[in-house]
Amino acid sequence: MIRPRAHLLAHSAAAFAFPLLFVLAPLLAFLAYSFWRVENNQLIPDFTLANYLEFFRNDIYPRVFVGTLKLATQVMAIGLLLGFPVAYFIWRRRGRWRYALLLVSVVPLFMSYIIKLYAMRSILGLNGFLNKALVALGLLDAPSLAFLYNQRAVLITMAVVYLPFAILPVFLSLERIPLGLIQASADLGARPGQSFRHVVLPLSLPGTIVGGLFVFILAMGDFVTPQMVGGTVGFTYGRVIQSQFGMGFNWPLGSALAVILLIVVLAVIGLAAAIGRRSRV
Amino acid sequence: MSRPERLTEWLLGGVTALVLFALYAPALVVALFSVFEVRQQKVDFSSFSLAWYGRLIHNADILAALRNSLAVAAAAVALSLVLGLVIAFYANDPRNRGRRFLELLVYLPFLLPPIITGLSLVIFFREVGVDRSLVTVTIGHVAFLLALTYRLLMTRLRVLSPSMVEASYDLGANGWQTFRHVLFPHMRSALVAAGLLACTLSLDETLITFFLFSNDMTLPIRLWAMMRVGFTPEINALVTLILGVTFFLALLVSRRIALRGGN
Repeated sequence: MIRPRAHLLAHSAAAFAFPLLFVLAPLLAFLAYSFWRVENNQLIPDFTLANYLEFFRNDIYPRVFVGTLKLATQVMAIGLLLGFPVAYFIWRRRGRWRYALLLVSVVPLFMSYIIKLYAMRSILGLNGFLNKALVALGLLDAPSLAFLYNQRAVLITMAVVYLPFAILPVFLSLERIPLGLIQASADLGARPGQSFRHVVLPLSLPGTIVGGLFVFILAMGDFVTPQMVGGTVGFTYGRVIQSQFGMGFNWPLGSALAVILLIVVLAVIGLAAAIGRRSRV
Repeated sequence: MSRPERLTEWLLGGVTALVLFALYAPALVVALFSVFEVRQQKVDFSSFSLAWYGRLIHNADILAALRNSLAVAAAAVALSLVLGLVIAFYANDPRNRGRRFLELLVYLPFLLPPIITGLSLVIFFREVGVDRSLVTVTIGHVAFLLALTYRLLMTRLRVLSPSMVEASYDLGANGWQTFRHVLFPHMRSALVAAGLLACTLSLDETLITFFLFSNDMTLPIRLWAMMRVGFTPEINALVTLILGVTFFLALLVSRRIALRGGN
């Protein structure tokens, strides 16, 4: 096939235009803004590290950041601890049940995010279903206020909202395991538990890592969940960043805070990739 | 199966049932609220009525938001499919330069927290002097959806043997004819699946949209605004409808993907 030069040029332009203009350029603008400053409600182009220093000077930022890091790690742990058994159970089914169950566990990914938050708010409230169930089961004497408008509410809600993101990747990597390998392991005298530990678990690691990453990253940057169910004490780092773009009107500071988030997220992705590579050997 | 194995199986099944219940509980609660009256925080099961569904038709704010969302979704899906196709063709040809870099740019908005995609776009639009509107919202959606449409279309394109395209050229077809009669039929089902998936995600997108909208709200943003100031029961009706539609769309997508996996 001979390609006319003009043709190739047009194709390159069409392929690169959008990603360069609306992904790369905005990211560069965002990086640049983190070095700007605000004076009398005016954005001033500058090259100052003041926004980054502000992160360390005002101890509320590191505190919220570490708190959010902990929260996202907990959400990830819940996602994997519950998501893995579910994916594993579905994977062990055969025939119709397998795809029906898979479908049922994937559909929540497409259920409206904002509506889930709204529903979770009414489930966790004083007169919500959670309190009713706990009182009915005798686990609580009276409905408790402990489940809404605090960090715990943010944790529970994020776990429910982001759990499906862990199930699907784990299932997909389980499905890539050749059944012959498990057969061989059994033939060589391994008990089911041993096969699981030495064959299934290591080979499902890539999906587990991807699932965990998705949950962690989404939980890390979320600013709507904490606002809807976290009340005044359920503050997270995403909310801090977002407030700089709203009422705070300090876009440079917001950008610097977001750059810090970006660096941590990239570091976590790099770490996960390293773990994935090492386990493959 | 031995006894411990059967026990493990039951345990796993139990966890799965509990998790699925937790995942669907929010949807169930909303659906209940939409047809039954809630008095003093108690659901009155004798009061079945579809009245809130009727009221919905008269809520101008919600209808306007729904129209905005549909317009944004239509434009974003069309654009992300066309761009996904163009980029997949470019990246699939080993002679082209910068393919890995291009792929990285396409995947970034999907890998990074949405808050970063949203705020970098709003900063960019401010710098180039573009006011926020449904157009900026659409661009934000495309940036995020492109990773998905590209990925699905690329997967399909890779399994097409290059000799098919060569044969088409050898038989005298031009570029357009080759696309029309060889590539497009091969890609059609992938385009449909990617389009449906992109559509459900666009209709639901909240975190990027938040930074990019101005007066015209999309549905999730409108719902969020309504929930913050307290809510009207029409929301439950609307939400149940949306859940029904997304469930249906998800069913369509997964049937397509499952069918393809089965072959």
